Amino acid sequence: MQPTNDQRLWMYRQMVTSRHLEERIETLYMEGKTPVFNMAKGPIPGEMHLSNGQEPCAVGVCAHLNADDVVVATHRPHHIAVAKGVDLNAMVAEIFGKATGLSGGRGGHMHLFDAAVNFSCSGIIGESLGPAAGAALSRKMQGKPGVAVAFLGEGAANQGAFHEVLNLAAVWQLPVVFIIEDNAWGISVAKQASTAVLRNDMRAEAYGMPGTHVADNDVEGVFAAAGEAIARARDGQGPTLIEIETSRLAGHFMGDSEDYRPEGEKAGLKGRDPIPRYRAALLEAGLIDAASDADLVDKAHERVEAAIRFAQDSDFLPPEAALETVFV
Amino acid sequence: MSTAITVPEDLWEGDNEGVITAWLVEEGSQVNQGDLVAEVMVEKAQYEIEAPAAGTLTITKQEDEVVAKGTTIASLDA
Amino acid sequence: MTTTSTTSSSRKLTIARAMAEATAHEMRKDPSVFVMGEDVGPLGGVFGNTRGLHDEFGSERVRDTPISETAFIGAAVGAASDGMRPIVELMFVDFFGVCMDAIYNMMAKNTYFAGGNVKVPMVLMTSTGGGYSDGGQHSQCLYATFAHLPGMKVVVPSNAYDAKGLMTAAIRDDNPVVFMYHKSLQGMGWLGTEKGATVATPEESYTVEIGKAAVARQGRDLTLVSLGAGVHHCLRAAKTLGEEGVDVEVVDLRSLVPLDRETVRASVAKTGRLIVVDEDYHSYGVSGEIIASVVEHDTTCLKAAPRRVAYPDIPIPFAPTMEQWALPNADKIVDAFHQMMSN
Repeated sequence: MQPTNDQRLWMYRQMVTSRHLEERIETLYMEGKTPVFNMAKGPIPGEMHLSNGQEPCAVGVCAHLNADDVVVATHRPHHIAVAKGVDLNAMVAEIFGKATGLSGGRGGHMHLFDAAVNFSCSGIIGESLGPAAGAALSRKMQGKPGVAVAFLGEGAANQGAFHEVLNLAAVWQLPVVFIIEDNAWGISVAKQASTAVLRNDMRAEAYGMPGTHVADNDVEGVFAAAGEAIARARDGQGPTLIEIETSRLAGHFMGDSEDYRPEGEKAGLKGRDPIPRYRAALLEAGLIDAASDADLVDKAHERVEAAIRFAQDSDFLPPEAALETVFV
Repeated sequence: MSTAITVPEDLWEGDNEGVITAWLVEEGSQVNQGDLVAEVMVEKAQYEIEAPAAGTLTITKQEDEVVAKGTTIASLDA
Repeated sequence: MTTTSTTSSSRKLTIARAMAEATAHEMRKDPSVFVMGEDVGPLGGVFGNTRGLHDEFGSERVRDTPISETAFIGAAVGAASDGMRPIVELMFVDFFGVCMDAIYNMMAKNTYFAGGNVKVPMVLMTSTGGGYSDGGQHSQCLYATFAHLPGMKVVVPSNAYDAKGLMTAAIRDDNPVVFMYHKSLQGMGWLGTEKGATVATPEESYTVEIGKAAVARQGRDLTLVSLGAGVHHCLRAAKTLGEEGVDVEVVDLRSLVPLDRETVRASVAKTGRLIVVDEDYHSYGVSGEIIASVVEHDTTCLKAAPRRVAYPDIPIPFAPTMEQWALPNADKIVDAFHQMMSN
């Protein structure tokens, strides 16, 4: 399955948008945190898990989805939220904890919920699969169109929930797709030290569903694999498991010194940064030239800058609002 | 004889500043060469400062103070 | 390993170092002690409490695990019943949801089900607490959740001296012990650090008895009861109230199971006034248990209705404005006392 040229440009634009957002968050996050790195300080306090490098997973999947389809993401959700079409202003405001944020600042960066586009995420490893399967079940029971996609990291494939939900989704033939973003590291623990199989897509067979592997963080490889899986789900043919070999370019969280990585690994990953690679491919294909690329990049950046200004200009809710929305 | 305790030049990579997060020995106490005396944090990483000599500790950079490589943080009087 | 070696009697440790030192000491002495958890190996624990252990004892006894809490905590139960003394780490207590069965249905009950014929000598270390905007799945205390369920001891140190002694006692205990350490006390600067938690700690091995509270400050007019980080809020409030001429006693529970009700009752019998401070949720929790422990014993000892300064019954919000508003602090304790006296 090949993307159309419009889809190619869409994927590239989403990747550029997401990366710019992460780079700006990286800078803003460090405000108030140098030279003393105290997580509680600065305009964006708390933990921060950036998605730099993992953009192909988000765009290659979401290119096949519309707002009605359900996505459940992880503690590292920004790239997926951008590609799913989460309201960027409200998302960035949420990351700043502002009143105009998706939840008024109650959730924060690991807890982004945008019902308008059926997006949610959880900070607990492996907890994206169950809700995605449930949304798929709901669609099936209601006879409503739409599929559900769960994103998870390769480390989550060792959680009980992964194995339970894969079986459930297969035995009930649910319209759901499971996307493993394999960035090779669970914080400081390497995949090969924690996972008994070479690739997690090999585990699909044990649960009676197709498994696909995408190598080398390849945007169009993700597009093809996800396209097939989502088409199968839409067609009532049940779930699929896909593992994507991707890269974590910004550490597990901000402030991670990544001393556990082998010498030179990070530099190698940066040399294979998927965005310059895709840009080169689009230039080569004649889909963009230097001028149109600059224009696309400028517009994507401006969209992010506008969202950041929106967030910065917004107020916090009054503290007492903490008591609201526990129940509806 | 007085010996300065300084932040070693090779304690971490790069020229970032750090902060003293803890003194692990009280002001005025007697320490031995090699004793761990303080912790310095650079971003999220913690580094250890050991006493270069024996002596009585006089702290000149307190907890939460910012330090760079080479900064004198205390002295030891033998 | 990186020992904090000094002959100085005034040597201080952070709680992170105190936990690692106690663990290392027991591992040297007892080959059945081993450590399992996420990032406890070369990284030394996300919160520093296994620092140096992998260097000294290697991968066989200091095991990085997959992100599989059900597997490795369940495995610890099995190993503990088979002659080992595992120490396992649940990185954030908030993550207990994925593995609670191993904890409360097996770790905590197997000894009872066996009529006392099976021992489960394991330690479950877990981090607690918020205050740094980590959101509602990484900031909870959940003290009462664990203390409520029978069959496991629960300790919550407020300083490095107690942390080392309680850790040693926990490892040597033939029963399962949940060791809950508050992130703001660990001595990891990036989480902020409560200076009062980093205290003089002897290099030699010692135990702090599990089930014994400490009187952290003596006073005649008011009893403040708390645990973990709350003890430091209480000590600050005591100082402020002291300037107003109020003589405050602070009780540091140290253990929730067993709970030292006698020390609390003795203090309230002396002062007649009780405020309980707890960063865990307000309802059905430590604060209610402490107040009940006093009044079910003696309804006449109180000169005023007891009060609690606890976390409201809401998920922990991300925005710092909301989170800081909701957290207990010294000012709220002082206010609670003023309200108590104005009624």
